[in-house]
Amino acid sequence: MAIRYLKKHAALEDIVTVEDAEALQKWLNEQAKPAVNLSKCRHMHAAVLQVLLALKPALVGEVSDPWLHAALCSPQA
Amino acid sequence: MTHTELLDQFILEARECLEQIGNRLLEVEKRPTDGELLNDLFRLVHTLKGNCGLFEFKPLERVVHAGEDLLDRVRNGTLHYTPAMADALLDAMDFTAQMVDEIESTGAIDPVADARSTSIASALRAQLTAVAAPVEAAPEPVVSAPLTAAQWEAPAWGHRVPEALLRAHPDAMLWRYVPEPECFFKGEDPWLVARQVPGLVHLDVRPTAPWPERDSFDCYACNLDLVGLSTSPAAYLQEHFRYVPEQVELVQTPATWPATGDAQTPAATSPATPIHATTATDDAEATSTAPQGSPAEQLVHARVLAIWREQLVQLAKPGIPAGSVQGIRLTFRGLLAILEHPAAQDSLSALPAQVSAAALLGWAQQHAPEAGDTPPEIDDGALVTSAGGGNGGFAAASGGGEGGRRGEEGAHQKVLKVSQDKIDRLMDLIGEMVVAKNALPYLAQRAETVFAQRELAREIKAQYAVINRIAEDMQHAIMQVRMLPVGTIFQRFGRLVRDISKKLGKDVQLVIEGEDTEADKNIIESLADPMIHIIRNSLDHGIEMPEVRQRMGKPAQGTIRVAARQESDRVIIEITDDGAGINPQRVRAKAIERGLIPEDKGQTLTDAEAVQLIFLPGFSTADTISDLSGRGVGMDVVRNAVERINGQVRLSSEFGKGTVLTLSLPLSMAVTNVMIIEAGHRRFGVPMDMIVETVRVHADDIHHFKQARTTVLRGRIVPLRPLHELLALSEQPTVNDDGEHAVLVVRMGHENVGLMVDQFHGASDIILKPLEGVLAGLTGFAGTALMGDGSVLMILNPKELM
Repeated sequence: MAIRYLKKHAALEDIVTVEDAEALQKWLNEQAKPAVNLSKCRHMHAAVLQVLLALKPALVGEVSDPWLHAALCSPQA
Repeated sequence: MTHTELLDQFILEARECLEQIGNRLLEVEKRPTDGELLNDLFRLVHTLKGNCGLFEFKPLERVVHAGEDLLDRVRNGTLHYTPAMADALLDAMDFTAQMVDEIESTGAIDPVADARSTSIASALRAQLTAVAAPVEAAPEPVVSAPLTAAQWEAPAWGHRVPEALLRAHPDAMLWRYVPEPECFFKGEDPWLVARQVPGLVHLDVRPTAPWPERDSFDCYACNLDLVGLSTSPAAYLQEHFRYVPEQVELVQTPATWPATGDAQTPAATSPATPIHATTATDDAEATSTAPQGSPAEQLVHARVLAIWREQLVQLAKPGIPAGSVQGIRLTFRGLLAILEHPAAQDSLSALPAQVSAAALLGWAQQHAPEAGDTPPEIDDGALVTSAGGGNGGFAAASGGGEGGRRGEEGAHQKVLKVSQDKIDRLMDLIGEMVVAKNALPYLAQRAETVFAQRELAREIKAQYAVINRIAEDMQHAIMQVRMLPVGTIFQRFGRLVRDISKKLGKDVQLVIEGEDTEADKNIIESLADPMIHIIRNSLDHGIEMPEVRQRMGKPAQGTIRVAARQESDRVIIEITDDGAGINPQRVRAKAIERGLIPEDKGQTLTDAEAVQLIFLPGFSTADTISDLSGRGVGMDVVRNAVERINGQVRLSSEFGKGTVLTLSLPLSMAVTNVMIIEAGHRRFGVPMDMIVETVRVHADDIHHFKQARTTVLRGRIVPLRPLHELLALSEQPTVNDDGEHAVLVVRMGHENVGLMVDQFHGASDIILKPLEGVLAGLTGFAGTALMGDGSVLMILNPKELM
């Protein structure tokens, strides 16, 4: 279970691998109001992380991973 | 295959690689623009690096990796091959050769080599930066002495860690990791690397360059710049970033901070107890009394003490050879040079040239370095016991240096490399020989019956016995040449399972059985990739997370069992996992969804048939894709790979309980011992290893029950099946003059079954040729064989027949 693309947001779950980065980027670009849910994400590959950093989708729910939280929610990012 | 055998193989291959690398290096120097040559060279170094990675030989790997990077640049044309580069590479090669020799003699690398390896690797990396674009500048990680805030100059990126954190963690390490843009294609995950930095207290991520426009953004070009703060010592961080040293900067933070608002008075010289007081040595005593100094100095000092003690242990051993004593003496001299202890150095030189072990031991105990380099009083007992043994030959290896190494070269096991064609030709010839020798008994028979030459017949038979023995030996020998234990490939799985299970957070043990089962080299080699794929699948999709397993009432630790055994003329490899198994419903749904099978057919499949669908080309459960087993190599590739070598794959899976994959592979052109039997005036062979016994059963002892026939043999009921019926022959089983049937009892799994035939005709060695073309579908026959009299014998496969 890596990414489930739902109606309003993409749910990133468990371990999201490098292969998912491109699909996620495409999906986020197609959305009017892109949003992701990271509450069940244990780890994402750096490529996925930079997709999130670059496209800045809205976050749905908590970011459970503290490092991920720091990376995505800090003002500079 | 044991670890030592693997190590032997590594040494053998490493030597071979090094030899070729040496040749190529010299050729490249003559023709530095020859692309093919450079590619070849790069490939060799790459292979060597891969091999080093199998073992924990850090110093070796570091050097080879640096060499690989350098050659990669040269190959890509970003760098020009220069004589200085050639020198560095040759130096590195010599070092590698020396390490390999050391590994061969002691099984490990002397920790002292670590420093040398670092310097050689940085010499190589210096070549990288000498000509390369300045972007690639590779600052060597530096460990500096404890700093005060006043001396400390924060790097330009230092502000990315809040100062409050810096204050809270004195004497910590600031690091910056800027992965190269193409790092994703090398399988690196910088985020994972950054998160797993030991002692991480802060992590900051930013883009290296501003994020590009939506459309031009390439998510596979790494644009990350990671800065963090860690409380671990520099050595740990260097170790952590060992594969990307040129992309990492390390900066030590001040050991002391002035009180807030009082910036100009650094707290005198009370360095806080360094967090890393116990790095890299288990020797608590050494560090507790070690001199105040930078962590690196302390580390060196502790190492020197440990090495000194190891030398003492060596010297104390009875019967130590004079050469080793000299080696140990050299080691002492080196250690003293590190400690800068001229007085002791002089007294060492004052000892006679051919010093005895006892005299040197006495001297060493007197002059042993202590904390602060003051002349020592050391408790001998503590010395000897704390040092611990196990590093046999260490002193000679480290102290003897180059000279000793050259001398050993002659002792290496000679290996002859022969091309496979020659071996194949030899095998064919021996095969013909076996068939030809089988003609001799027929000749003897003819001599007796046709020419009435009994004497001659007897002599021919005697000669046959001799030739038979030699032919068998030859055959055995040639098979041995080509046979490898399957353990050669199993050995890699341990590491694979360990690494992947760690990555996935699963707890998995690998059980290997029957690794000495042998099979043809070709078969073994073509088996490696499919098996790695199968095991990855099991790890990724099969074994569940520990919590899930416990909830299901399974032990938290999953088990993957790889068992090999020989069965008749085939090698059977079973890969069993006790994981989740395959969900037949989901497989069915996926196959229908992907249009691989029509829907109505999908619904009629039994569960056991449904799980076989995973072998269909194009089948993939896309939502379970991962970087481990979702690389587009499906189970169909596994099956194709196995079928290419005439193997078969069987899969059985119980949902929730686990999966068993059975690979059945031919042993290659194995010589098979068969028993020849006759039924309906035709002769057939039955593989000898299936036969339990041959008996004659009186017709009256056969019990008929409807269609079934049974008899009782030694108190056990044995079902009887007439071969005539199985082969649909028109004749009925015949009885001999005493009214007895000939019954061949064969083993079927755990049961014995009697095969009713007409007659037994003794045993024969044959070369089994599998059925080809349209006949290949006849599973009832294992193959054919050419007999000595020129006739063709069909070999039965009783298992399939029944």
